[in-house]
Amino acid sequence: MNPQEAPISKPTRLFGLSLAVCSVLNALLVIAKEKSKAVSGAMQSLTGHHWITHVALVLFFFVAFGALFAVTKSGAKMSVPRLTHFVLAGVIGSVVIIVSFYLIAG
Amino acid sequence: MKELLLLSHVLFGVGCVLTTVWLFVDVLNARENNLPRIKWLSRAVALFMWLSFFLGGYWYVVDYKADKALILKGPWPFAHDFFMETKEHFVITLLLLATYLPIAAANNLTANQEARKLVLWTTASVAILALMAEGHGAIIAVGVKVALLAKPH
Repeated sequence: MNPQEAPISKPTRLFGLSLAVCSVLNALLVIAKEKSKAVSGAMQSLTGHHWITHVALVLFFFVAFGALFAVTKSGAKMSVPRLTHFVLAGVIGSVVIIVSFYLIAG
Repeated sequence: MKELLLLSHVLFGVGCVLTTVWLFVDVLNARENNLPRIKWLSRAVALFMWLSFFLGGYWYVVDYKADKALILKGPWPFAHDFFMETKEHFVITLLLLATYLPIAAANNLTANQEARKLVLWTTASVAILALMAEGHGAIIAVGVKVALLAKPH
């Protein structure tokens, strides 16, 4: 970080990291759900619809990872450009995994 | 009622795209005097996204079954198999991005150029994914239309 620049807020770091992790988690959950009937059935029975459970799990982990990173002080020394790369890698990775999976599975 | 729900979903989605583009331009030209507007616009993006997501999600869970059956029997089954399946999942990542936007935009973007770049990239990602969602939605709608047109009268 440029020492002359103002620091970024703690939530920006914590939830930036959580966003990257949960984006990939979202994509992996798609594969798990589509490949395993047990996972899909469990998600279906939990809320009545697999997609509602999927959304609830990802949102829960988004908040939970944010809190966990605060406790473990993860990313406290991470530079903002590195955080940006991390967020972009998570988001692009997530979309590429989802699109590729349905292209191949379809 | 069902149609109104679906139209509101699209309307808030378009609102999200337009607000995101406005936010992107404002962040590109971040100055002390437009920082409050940047914060409000980032909150508006998140609000539009949540409204669109909630309405679309409700429609998907409650009303989509009939449309899905039609699409799968019609000439464009990929409208469900690929476009709906990908859309219903990448929009969760889009929701996370839009939720994160007000958090990142709350930083002083004139005093920290790297934070400004982070917000620009996040905003650009929201705009691209939201446009992708709009396009997927259009293909799903055409999937229903061609299925109805192909039905014997």
